[in-house]
Amino acid sequence: MSVTTLTMHLLNGLAYGMLLFMIAAGLSIIFGLMNVVNLAHGTFYLAGVYIAYYFIGRQFGFWLSMLLSIIVVAILGVLMEKLLLERVYGKELEQVLLTFGLSFIFADVVKWIWGTSPLTLPVPSGLDVSADLGFMIFPAYRIFVILVGCMLAVLLWYMENKTRVGAMIRAGVDDRDMLSALGINIKVVFTCIFAFGAGLAGLSGVLGGPIMGMYVGIDSEILISSLVIVVIGGLGTWKGAFIGAIMVGVVDTLGRVLFPSFTMAMIFAIMIVVLLIKPNGLFGRGAHA
Amino acid sequence: MKNRPLWLNLVLLVVLAVMPLLLSSYGLKLGSEVLIMAIFVMSLGLIIGFAGLVSLGHAAFFGAGAYTVTLIGDHLNNTYVLLLAAILVSGILAFISGLLFIRSSGAYFLMITLAFGQMLYAIAYKMEDITGGVDGKPVLATFDLGFGAIDSRLTFYYVTAVAFAASYFLLRVFISSPLGKSVRGIKENESRMTALGYNTRNYKLVVYTLSGMMAGFAGGLYSYFNEYISPDLLNWMFSGQALIMVIVGGVGTLLGPAIGAGFFVILQNYISSYTERWPIIMGLIFVAIVLYGRGGIIHIVSLIWNLLFRRKNRDQNMQHKEGTGIDSSKSGTSV
Repeated sequence: MSVTTLTMHLLNGLAYGMLLFMIAAGLSIIFGLMNVVNLAHGTFYLAGVYIAYYFIGRQFGFWLSMLLSIIVVAILGVLMEKLLLERVYGKELEQVLLTFGLSFIFADVVKWIWGTSPLTLPVPSGLDVSADLGFMIFPAYRIFVILVGCMLAVLLWYMENKTRVGAMIRAGVDDRDMLSALGINIKVVFTCIFAFGAGLAGLSGVLGGPIMGMYVGIDSEILISSLVIVVIGGLGTWKGAFIGAIMVGVVDTLGRVLFPSFTMAMIFAIMIVVLLIKPNGLFGRGAHA
Repeated sequence: MKNRPLWLNLVLLVVLAVMPLLLSSYGLKLGSEVLIMAIFVMSLGLIIGFAGLVSLGHAAFFGAGAYTVTLIGDHLNNTYVLLLAAILVSGILAFISGLLFIRSSGAYFLMITLAFGQMLYAIAYKMEDITGGVDGKPVLATFDLGFGAIDSRLTFYYVTAVAFAASYFLLRVFISSPLGKSVRGIKENESRMTALGYNTRNYKLVVYTLSGMMAGFAGGLYSYFNEYISPDLLNWMFSGQALIMVIVGGVGTLLGPAIGAGFFVILQNYISSYTERWPIIMGLIFVAIVLYGRGGIIHIVSLIWNLLFRRKNRDQNMQHKEGTGIDSSKSGTSV
């Protein structure tokens, strides 16, 4: 494998990692703060990409469709949290079953409406070119995705560390009861975080559409990778999700080229090693594990 | 803990024995499927209800058993050896994975077992030369216990009935043994058991391995039953279905998960013949059970039983009022 091919795979891996980061970040915060393992989080990705497909088909254009899709998915998240999840807080097994059942329902609804054949989103105009990086040619859209991911990481890092909301979230991950004792309306915080996580996953779906395409089953693929990322990175931290997502994205992409049968095994091995050394994940806080 | 009356076990055996008189040929096939699933779901019920280990990757062991029988069965057609190999392979797999995972608990354990199952799924899916990949693989081995190949549905039904009864009594003996009692003690209060000098991890590992072996046994039987296997047997969807069967039946009981398996397999068969939208219906059942279920079918049955026969058992009645019983499956309800 030449240096150029390797760089290309690395960049592809990085782009995939950024998509995973957007999902894992939401999953990680929802898990860390609300103690909910949201098995329907891949569903938000799925919903995001298919809803964008719907709007693009109605001539809304890529960017407006993306915005609309994110809004719809966030509303879906609010409804899910308010109508269903709220009733089972603190009951781990029930949450798992509830979100698992919801992922079944949504996957089948998507199958019902759009069928099982894979579809894809068009690359937005302006980005459907190849960029000359000097030493190699690379699709501009993927570079765009990498940039969006990095910007989002910086934004989330800033939010987490420098703003009042971030302080609330950090405090909540460490001690939920104390947060509500301080007079913060924890219900509102939960709903907002859940909607935010859902919206992020929806964004990831739309951005991933032109790269990964869409098909029923991508929701669980994405979900499993994100869960592994959360375990590797540690729960409740965006930094962990970022580093974990890049690791998984790159290993997954390189693995598909080098040893296709054992990609998942590689990723899994990384997770086991991390867990053996640091049971709370690389950047995890608290003693949840 | 009360001891279950002996006659209940006898009733179980009699029901299993006379069932074929009431069933059509198709019903017999369904009955075998229910019993195989019941063994699998019971093995999951064991680690959830008695050791507090909620796994979302239990299909890994079922699938490992099924693949063992199928893959080795291509070269060696001996039912005893193949089933033993299935038990052994899944047992080793459960032991090694348990060794690594049992450090974690709760949601972490769930996510790790889920990822583990998906890893095996991905391997079976990708290694097409050996496993047949996504298309799966026909099972060439024939079921033969030394009296000629068993191919009638009735005989195979009795084979699965015996396998189920044996698994059930094995588990019954296990949970009332000192080892089983220690495990339940750990589930109820791990720090107390640690303080008493128990190495709780080792106890959990024993249960986990036993459970994996039983799941592998069920998987081995399944490949004989279905004569075809595919990676779906390892998928987390399958693990999740087994999990809901445990919940539907009743956590913390032995027979509950088996009843949940029966309920689900029959329901799926019935509904699938009318509509392709089974996943939606199943999802709705999940949601309904979580929101309105009160500890599973077996609790409802025993509640009705108590009402009908006015057996005063305040402890049990108290428990029925205590939420869903999913998390709070303490002792006292071992049907």
